[in-house]
Amino acid sequence: MVALAKKKEWSLLLLLAPALLYFLIYHFIPISGMVMAFQDYRIFGKSPFVGFKHFRILFASPAFLQVLRNTLIISFMKIVLFFPLPIIFALMLNEVRSSILRKFIQSTTYLPHFLSWVVIAGIWIAFLSPANGGLNQLREMFNLAPKDYMTDKGAIRWVLFASETWRSLGWDSIIYLAALASISPSLYESADLDGAGALQKMRYITLPELLPTMVTVFILNMGFFLNAGFDQVFNMMNDSVISVVDILDTYVYRIGLLNMQYSFSTAASLFKGVIGLVLILAAHQGSRKITEKGLW
Amino acid sequence: MVKKVKTPAVELFWRWLFTALLLLVCVIVLVPMLNLLALSLSNPARVPEVRGLTVFPKGFSLINYRVLAANPLFVRSFLNSVFITVVGTALNLLVTSMAAFALTRPKLPFRRFFMVLIIIVMILEPALVTEYLVIKKIGLMNSLWAVILYKTVNVYYLIILMRYFEEIPPSLIDAAQVDGASNMTVLRKIVMPLAKPALATLGLFYGVFHWNEYFRASIYLTDPMKYPLQLILRQFVVLDDTASLIGSGTLFSYDEAARLSYDALQASTIIVAILPVLIVYPLILKYYARGVMEGGVKE
Repeated sequence: MVALAKKKEWSLLLLLAPALLYFLIYHFIPISGMVMAFQDYRIFGKSPFVGFKHFRILFASPAFLQVLRNTLIISFMKIVLFFPLPIIFALMLNEVRSSILRKFIQSTTYLPHFLSWVVIAGIWIAFLSPANGGLNQLREMFNLAPKDYMTDKGAIRWVLFASETWRSLGWDSIIYLAALASISPSLYESADLDGAGALQKMRYITLPELLPTMVTVFILNMGFFLNAGFDQVFNMMNDSVISVVDILDTYVYRIGLLNMQYSFSTAASLFKGVIGLVLILAAHQGSRKITEKGLW
Repeated sequence: MVKKVKTPAVELFWRWLFTALLLLVCVIVLVPMLNLLALSLSNPARVPEVRGLTVFPKGFSLINYRVLAANPLFVRSFLNSVFITVVGTALNLLVTSMAAFALTRPKLPFRRFFMVLIIIVMILEPALVTEYLVIKKIGLMNSLWAVILYKTVNVYYLIILMRYFEEIPPSLIDAAQVDGASNMTVLRKIVMPLAKPALATLGLFYGVFHWNEYFRASIYLTDPMKYPLQLILRQFVVLDDTASLIGSGTLFSYDEAARLSYDALQASTIIVAILPVLIVYPLILKYYARGVMEGGVKE
């Protein structure tokens, strides 16, 4: 003990204490409380164990299966369909030579990333308004009848996709711009000497150099596949479209905090957490294998 | 490799096309925001002339902003947001720095154990319900502290700061400690000043996070006078609950209030919520975006 005290500095624990207290309150105690997914939670008295009852009800419920489908579809759109867009954006921006234009484009397109989804929902609800919105004014110019996108089941998922793109296109391109900037110019110079055209340089130099970054970004995003963006959906959904945009996190909120089915909601959270954990660990392994850099 | 004669004209054409497309993206980003700004600043009598693609105000009036400033609920929510943001960010920086310092000192007992805890925090998310029940049990319901303390330590930021602290030469710290300085003094006088750019960046990100937070506020706060601006904005704009804002307490006559447009008032609320972000945005570009562009990716 004396020898250990000489080596270790126990007073450092005091510096760590506030952070540990925070983790305890907001992470570890709530995580240990998730055992209630296997109980019938009672506010007073002992909560009896019921095994996998809530999970059985969950998987037998058509509502939950629809929620799961919505989550997968929306995540697919926002992760897979969206994936090439920031790359194309970065490649195009890389060709802009004027530094004033570059700065203008960058500072404009990064801005939405810093707005809350409440604000973005407000902006989009106004822009898509059937009465006087910008998009319907455009439709009018082409003699199309006004359309209410926010309450249209066929359109709302594309509204989610479009608003996500509006918010993230610029910001998500930063990592690719950095990768483009780190490609050695000598590669292009020797390609020029060989008489390579722009397309060939793209195919044989730029894309291969970007590949590790693309793979990393893609894998990391896959780790969060079950999230699908709570804040966005929560602020953009309404009663007309809830059946097609209700995702796991909004479902967990509704049945848990609004309907107060605490154990049932926790079971849904636990299901999401376990799948999410598997995805994140897989992403970590995948990222380590390909880039020798894990998530931590 | 296949030889090909490249024509500069073709490349020039592509370059201009790309620039045009990127500027189109900028227009798509800016027009919806400028439209709301124009709507909020237009003369109430001419508001019907403002269409969805209008970007300049029709006439000029600050009446919408005066109505908001005269509404106690709105003013209070703005002040609540300022309070949550300032206190929350200060606490974030202090607690995250202390933890990052302790975790980068080789003499910290159980260091590996704490690192494992941090990874667990990173990959395991508690259920919303269980977090809610803990907050309720410890008596933080309807307290601003339940909102302020949420994300006191963002583990990703903690790790970024740890990497930054690791770059500081240990000899600097050891020398100070030989002189009898306590850990807290070393952190305050040596480590934090050296990490200023990193702390500024994290402070901006924490600050924007607090300013934009509405969800924890919506589940933990029950008294509307404690609501932050984003929550009032959500009720007013997203849930279209117009009564809450126009209602009582305006200093305007019925006539004036009747002439106002809800759309314009909603637009003004959105603009007020964006404004503080716009004010710190140049700093964000300066500290973060440029760092990323020039120094490679840090995250």
